[in-house]
Amino acid sequence: MIEARELRKEYGGFVAVEGSSFSVERGEVFGVIGPNGAGKTTTLKMLAGLLEPTAGGAEVAGFDVGETEMRHHLGFLPEESPLYEEMTPKTYLRFFADLYDVDADVATERMNETLDDLDLQHRDRQLGDMSKGMKRKVAIARSLINDPEVLIYDEPASGLDPLTTNYIIEFTEQLAEDGKTVIFSAHNLFHVESICDRVAIMNEGEIVARGDLDRLQSEYGETTYHVYTTVEVPDSVRENGRYHRVVDSMAAVEGTREQAQDAGGEVVDIRTEQSSLEEVFLNVAESGRQRQ
Amino acid sequence: MNLRKLLRIARWEVTKNAGGLDRRTLVVVVVAIALVGVVAPVVGVGGVGVDEGIYRVAVDEDSQYYDVVANDSTFVVREPSDRAALEDGDIDLWIDGTGIDPADTRKGAAAFEELRESVTGYNNRQLSKETNQTAAFPVSVTVQFREQSQLSPGGDGDGSQSPGGDGGEQPPGGDGPTGDGGETPGDPPDTGGVDDSGEDPVDDGTDTGGSTGEGSGPGPSPGGFTGPLSEDELSGSPADINPPFPFQSLVLAFIFVIPLNFLIQAYGSTMLSERLNRRGELLLVSPVTRLDIIGGKTLPYFAGAMAVEGAISVGLVYVARGELGGLVSALAIAPLVLLFLGATFLGAMFARSFKELTFVTVTITVVLTSYAFVPAIFTDVGSLALISPLTLVVRDLQGEAVALQEFVFSTLPPFLSAVVFFGLGSGLYREEDMFDQRSLSGKVLDALAGPISRPYHVGVMTIVLIPFVFVIQLLAIALLFATGDISVPLILIVVAVVEEIAKSLHIYAAYDHNRFESTTRVAIILGIASGVGFFLGEKIALLAQLVGLPELATAEAGLSGGIVEGPIILLFLLAPLALHTVTAAVSAVGARTGRRSYVFGLAAAIALHFLYNFTVVESLV
Repeated sequence: MIEARELRKEYGGFVAVEGSSFSVERGEVFGVIGPNGAGKTTTLKMLAGLLEPTAGGAEVAGFDVGETEMRHHLGFLPEESPLYEEMTPKTYLRFFADLYDVDADVATERMNETLDDLDLQHRDRQLGDMSKGMKRKVAIARSLINDPEVLIYDEPASGLDPLTTNYIIEFTEQLAEDGKTVIFSAHNLFHVESICDRVAIMNEGEIVARGDLDRLQSEYGETTYHVYTTVEVPDSVRENGRYHRVVDSMAAVEGTREQAQDAGGEVVDIRTEQSSLEEVFLNVAESGRQRQ
Repeated sequence: MNLRKLLRIARWEVTKNAGGLDRRTLVVVVVAIALVGVVAPVVGVGGVGVDEGIYRVAVDEDSQYYDVVANDSTFVVREPSDRAALEDGDIDLWIDGTGIDPADTRKGAAAFEELRESVTGYNNRQLSKETNQTAAFPVSVTVQFREQSQLSPGGDGDGSQSPGGDGGEQPPGGDGPTGDGGETPGDPPDTGGVDDSGEDPVDDGTDTGGSTGEGSGPGPSPGGFTGPLSEDELSGSPADINPPFPFQSLVLAFIFVIPLNFLIQAYGSTMLSERLNRRGELLLVSPVTRLDIIGGKTLPYFAGAMAVEGAISVGLVYVARGELGGLVSALAIAPLVLLFLGATFLGAMFARSFKELTFVTVTITVVLTSYAFVPAIFTDVGSLALISPLTLVVRDLQGEAVALQEFVFSTLPPFLSAVVFFGLGSGLYREEDMFDQRSLSGKVLDALAGPISRPYHVGVMTIVLIPFVFVIQLLAIALLFATGDISVPLILIVVAVVEEIAKSLHIYAAYDHNRFESTTRVAIILGIASGVGFFLGEKIALLAQLVGLPELATAEAGLSGGIVEGPIILLFLLAPLALHTVTAAVSAVGARTGRRSYVFGLAAAIALHFLYNFTVVESLV
């Protein structure tokens, strides 16, 4: 549904994105993460047809991103979506529905349905009088007014309170379950981890890692083993009448077992722990710095 | 471009602000506009009577000055009963049998001066009623204004002067002193040379020397004995000679320009507001083209302006000529409206804040109002005034016909300039340029480099810039031609600077954006492409010849398109081509390595261009 081929964007002598390639399947939720200035927004804007790639290309819903027709199949939500504050949600959404060639009756039905789902009240109030969260909901409703197959959301929950953030993340997850293809960026990696099937990690304009979360965790993360014994072993601490030792390999687990048996005790529990996406991301960023 | 979506955006542009205006404000705005619409033509035609009844004059009905005072609305007649009123300041002038005493105040002195002028006018009116006009006006002068290049020593022999015509036969084209019998004061002034036969159609030799003369038709005269708004005081005496200045029509024409200055404030604001806080980003990602957006947002302002200008046209023509009309004025003003909008649009694309936009719109107001208004002052002098479309409006208001080629000459350059402005601005109407805070110069270079990716694009861009060059050159001619002997060199300098910048700035922009390899060979190719483009585009100057503009020496120098004949025509055809390619190549070679070397290259090109033009003008003019 989304195919990016060696996307490159250069501003003067500054390379914002270098050789980004990835694909997103229909119904998939694809996350793009990275530190500030990594090239996430530039990548998403090239996919939305807002920025012309300096080199490379991309297709969205089977259309080249430069084609106007592609935009009929796309819902784009920029990180900042200042609205025309003199308008009301209704007039604003109807205006965009007209631009997307959506039939008036269909547009009205779709608008009401989406605003109901988003639990947006005060639909005749001017947008300028609304809270940031309400405005964000209107912006999301606008991105859905043409019932697009592909959604590109750049920091959809940026600057919102936790309650609204959770609401919007759950709503985005629901959109994916309804068959939409979603690609989005976020600073809050917990959100990415909770709803994304696959992610791409960007750093300094390049995709430094990509794949499903399990693969990234195994490649860039760590598995730690928490071994609990009945007797004291080296590097252990006493917890609730047991001794707790953290090791990073199965060989070390085996060594701990032998040490416990030599001391007349035994291993009573072993727990494994995977790195979070945040730790994976930090490890990738750190390895990038070391390469430099 | 999708017309339906363009119109939808236009409708949105009109209605999106509707919710922000309460009804009371709306009513106040409508009433204010209506008042301006009604009052402006009345004020324009009649003027504001600010000097009515400002001087109080004590004069007796028996005084010889009574009629003078009573017939001048500047004065209020008071009964001369108590002379103390003069000292108290209640009376400004005291007239009795012993003389005229002004109050010992500045107002009293002004009243005295006003009375002096009023007496002169009164005397002229009285004299004009005399049956023996020769006795009343022993000296009569007819002034004929001609193009500068048509002037020649030794007189023109139009036989238009006569201190006391004898009514007899005159040799065709006979010289002045024994012409056709002179002018009758109060008649429409003679444009000169009409009656070449020397025969006076009325004067049969039995009258006393006056005659009906030849009029130039209704409306203000192109010169001669026409005082602004005071035709009723004409005597034909040398004191009445005034320059040809269509004051009244010019004031009326200025009314057309006023709404445009308000219009661009609103238009600039709406364009800039799309850029601030990324408001316009969502329109850019919608399935519409940037032309749909720009066209849709511009259309309401253009339509609104044309509605206002159309109403002003109809109203003023009706007031000025007492008939329905104004189509020529409305059509003439349309490219000016587009030019104001186009310049504002480009300015709004460059400005980074409303503060900068204010500077931009004020600059546009000053420059374009000067462009429209200054040449129109010379409407009755010659074809030079046709540089401005406002000249067509003045002529329309005077009831004069406008030829098609004159209309095209006046309106095509501003129209094409507006197209260039919109074209350059639309190049910036994209994500990368709309929402960043780059410098003005950076955005200018962006706008110029945007469409260039191949060498021939350089030539095309040069052609696109020609109308802009043409307008600046014509404006320079209008502003500088009155500077006397130095006008030609000054204009040649302006021409060289403007043309060389137009030929090279986009080459520099292209190099700045790494569009081309920075080798000398490529730079020369780009220079040749630009030079050839300019040579082709410059032929638009031929339009000037259709209305005889090159008859002015300064215009000929400025447009460098003199009419040549004979075997040297090939030389004169190829020499400009060589000049433009060489100078453009010089600039391009400089442009390939950076800003400083571009400035040096440009300076060298300008110097070469000036020397060439100066040599050609010196040998031809």
